[in-house]
Amino acid sequence: MQTFKYLSMLAVAFFVTSAAAQTYDLPIQEHVYDNGLRLLVIERPGESRVVAKIFTDMGALNETPGEYGAAHFLEHLMFKGTPTLGSLDWEREREVHDQIRAAEDALIEELNRSRNDIRERGVFHDYQHRSSTPRIEELRALIDSLNRQAQELSDEGPMKVWYQAYGGTRSTATTEQEYMKFDLDLPADRVELYLRVEADRMQNSIFRNFDAERMVLVEQRLGDLNRAETEFREAMNSLVGRASMVYVPEGYTNDFQQYTRHYERELYETYFVPNNTTLIFIGGVTMEEMIPKVEKYFGHMEWAPEPKRYQGREPLPSGEKRLNWRSDTLSPRMEVRYQIPGVGHPDRPGFDVLAEAFETALQSVVDEAGISGTVDINTRVVHTARFGVPASINVELVLSDASQLAKAEEVLLAELGRLGKEPLPADEVAFAKKKLRTEWYRTAVDPNALAFEIGHFEVMDSWKTLVPYLEARDAATAEDLRDLAGKYFIANNRSVGVVLPGEASR
Amino acid sequence: MKKLLLILVFYATSSLAQVVTHPREMGLPDSDWVRPDPAEYQLSLENGLIAYVAKVDYVPLVTMSAFVRAGKVSDESQGAAESLVDALKNGGPSGMGASEFKASLRQMTAEYVVEMHDEWTEVTLNVPAEDLDEALPLFAAVVRSPEISQTNIRRAAGSMGPEAEDLGGESGAQLYEGSMDIAVDHFYEIIYNGHPYGRWLTPDDFDALDVDDVADFHAGYFVPGNMTIAVAGAIDVDEINSQLVALFGDWPAAEVPEVKQMPPVTRSRAALHHFPAKKLQSWLVMGHDLPPIPLAEQAAFEVMNYIMGEYHMNTRMMRNTRYKYGYTNDASSFVEDRWYGPGGYTYRSYSRPEVIENIYDNMMAELIRIREEEVSDHELFVAKGGLADGNFQVKYLDGYALTRSFAVERLRYGNHERSASYVERIRAVTKEDVLDAARKYIRPDVMQVILLGEEAFAID
Repeated sequence: MQTFKYLSMLAVAFFVTSAAAQTYDLPIQEHVYDNGLRLLVIERPGESRVVAKIFTDMGALNETPGEYGAAHFLEHLMFKGTPTLGSLDWEREREVHDQIRAAEDALIEELNRSRNDIRERGVFHDYQHRSSTPRIEELRALIDSLNRQAQELSDEGPMKVWYQAYGGTRSTATTEQEYMKFDLDLPADRVELYLRVEADRMQNSIFRNFDAERMVLVEQRLGDLNRAETEFREAMNSLVGRASMVYVPEGYTNDFQQYTRHYERELYETYFVPNNTTLIFIGGVTMEEMIPKVEKYFGHMEWAPEPKRYQGREPLPSGEKRLNWRSDTLSPRMEVRYQIPGVGHPDRPGFDVLAEAFETALQSVVDEAGISGTVDINTRVVHTARFGVPASINVELVLSDASQLAKAEEVLLAELGRLGKEPLPADEVAFAKKKLRTEWYRTAVDPNALAFEIGHFEVMDSWKTLVPYLEARDAATAEDLRDLAGKYFIANNRSVGVVLPGEASR
Repeated sequence: MKKLLLILVFYATSSLAQVVTHPREMGLPDSDWVRPDPAEYQLSLENGLIAYVAKVDYVPLVTMSAFVRAGKVSDESQGAAESLVDALKNGGPSGMGASEFKASLRQMTAEYVVEMHDEWTEVTLNVPAEDLDEALPLFAAVVRSPEISQTNIRRAAGSMGPEAEDLGGESGAQLYEGSMDIAVDHFYEIIYNGHPYGRWLTPDDFDALDVDDVADFHAGYFVPGNMTIAVAGAIDVDEINSQLVALFGDWPAAEVPEVKQMPPVTRSRAALHHFPAKKLQSWLVMGHDLPPIPLAEQAAFEVMNYIMGEYHMNTRMMRNTRYKYGYTNDASSFVEDRWYGPGGYTYRSYSRPEVIENIYDNMMAELIRIREEEVSDHELFVAKGGLADGNFQVKYLDGYALTRSFAVERLRYGNHERSASYVERIRAVTKEDVLDAARKYIRPDVMQVILLGEEAFAID
């Protein structure tokens, strides 16, 4: 079977396509392997380094309730090495990991058996009949002990260290709603190191130090919660989306204890398959040299059953929603959000132009109305401004005086209503488009940022729609924007957030 | 035919096995990278101004920067430096008018940054290539002759003192990153107490200042021989060189101000400084001043520092706080050297309050160990690769990076000898050199420990 697969690969001619546009010159070359792995390369002859990224089409959207943040946690676990990277004695270490898995299976069984005693029945973890059982404590102690044994048999940070030793920089990873990626920038003549490590990471990751790493997630989450705006923003996200926007990639702390090796392994084995993966290289390499190199390290992987892609469909909006948020820490503010389609929908590019042009126009109106405040219009939900699933356009007005909130709401809603009836001034729209073009150039000049955009489009929709997306923004007219506003900025599609003074009891 | 099939099966089978050769045995090539030659990018004007110009045309953008040896500690009149920053940021070129300047920047969709450090200043303008003809003369005019008014002095004075409240509600201690910044500010207040670098102005310091004082400061320091320029982007190099000659060539040469060498700081015995904060985490900064490092010791210091705490990498600090125990998201070192005086050398981390003492203990144990034991061959190998083939190469990654690196190096040292010998010096570092560097530049006896958050521990 494997031999046949290889022979069939030999017969496949290179499929290299090129997309280029005059304004947005992106000479991306593509090669898709027989096992479904996608390779994208932008050649920059003469450059001594190369930016490398591997994108997997999975993220927080693929988690199940009660396991929020599990995809992000998996990213952390995938830094812990493999049998050939990080183990001091794999035969002995494997035995310990087998024992840990068996102990965890027993723990899950015991937790299930004791569920009616130890589950949290209150809304906010305020009541359990019992917090634990002797058997649960015994199994947890056993896992702790085994963790320590495994630690004695392995090195920490076993992947990153080789990247460092051979000149790799920007060795990092990110998980958001729709993707997980691992990044590196390294000397171009050592690009095989990236392929060797990433292929190993993709197939053979050992989830070492599982329980200690869980606490790193706690730290990252506490860091989020130290931001005064975090809880308000998350509440707004939940208010707006009924299906897609409630997912917080970092997860909620109350889920952290629930993660199991079993569930993480399931995510890993389901999604980390070649036909769900895209490799991207920008810099001093050529497609011709990369095709055999990638095949050397990833060619053995077999096409796997396709993981189901998240559809991201929102039910029709059926009523205006409102959040009254009390805080003495946050400045008073009005925020109006409307759901908008994701990347891939023909309406989506226009919202970038609309946000840019309307922000200037709205700020002028706010100033003229004597309201002391700053306007910000964005499409950001978590860390990223664009999504392949429905998201929202957010019109934010941060005030210096809470007594102006009512007036601010009146002005904001009136202007949003007017936006659907009258076109914005043509020169403001032209300027907004220039600003977006310049911002794109600032992204594309950095190979790291450019590789991210290409990979992000690939998981949201397709890398081939990136240039058409940028071109569609340039083609948008003031009338198009008016029509967009008229279509989407309706009361039933509106979520309003107000930050009022005073601390709510928490 | 059968033989052919056997050959195909052999190669197919061998190809199908996963390649898991250890990185050490992969036969990765030794680096043959050579730092670009600055002479290829250099333009020297007769008045002493030196520029570095490079073409990078992946996208139609251009970046131009001026680096000036003039900083917050350079001015004789209190507040002149800060007022000049405001003029450079907001005033525009003499005779143009601030509002027209702002409108011009907006129309170009420019990114314009003016940043003043203690000893040097950077003015950077980034614009689309279509606006280059307007941008370069504007840039030259504002650097050579900024409009300076009483407004600049008033605004600079107003920005001193307590941090202005941010409308977003995320300023200062509200921010997770901001909390670390506050802890670091406390550290510098302590180590620079009574030192010229520790000069924190108040609005009253600006009372005696007038426009002439600010103009004198500009005239004295913003002179061709005290400045370097970098231009990179979608340009014609010859054309830019001609324009630089036209725009800066008639600027009269002037005496270059003498560099002010700063005195060493007065060190104090190791101490814990606790600053209460009602937060979900606590922030830890531990360190001391960093005396200027002689060239002969710089490479060993960098290797030692990389092994200990290169930011967010596999280091001793990360292994013994995050990787093994999950105490924190990060534990790294920060080298903040000054050009002409003592800088700061700190190790920083943050965590939930209940484990901050564990972090302190583990970090301090590593600070002591590096002074007592030689590092391993493996650590030395990793650090040398990370520095020589990683961090250093990135400084010359493309035209934007290399023109900037050359311009700053030239301004600071007057030549490019340091970067020319960097790789060789890093490669030559021995374990003994690292031990010597650790003993000299890590000093637990004068370590100032800043704890921002809940009270957690005491130190001996």
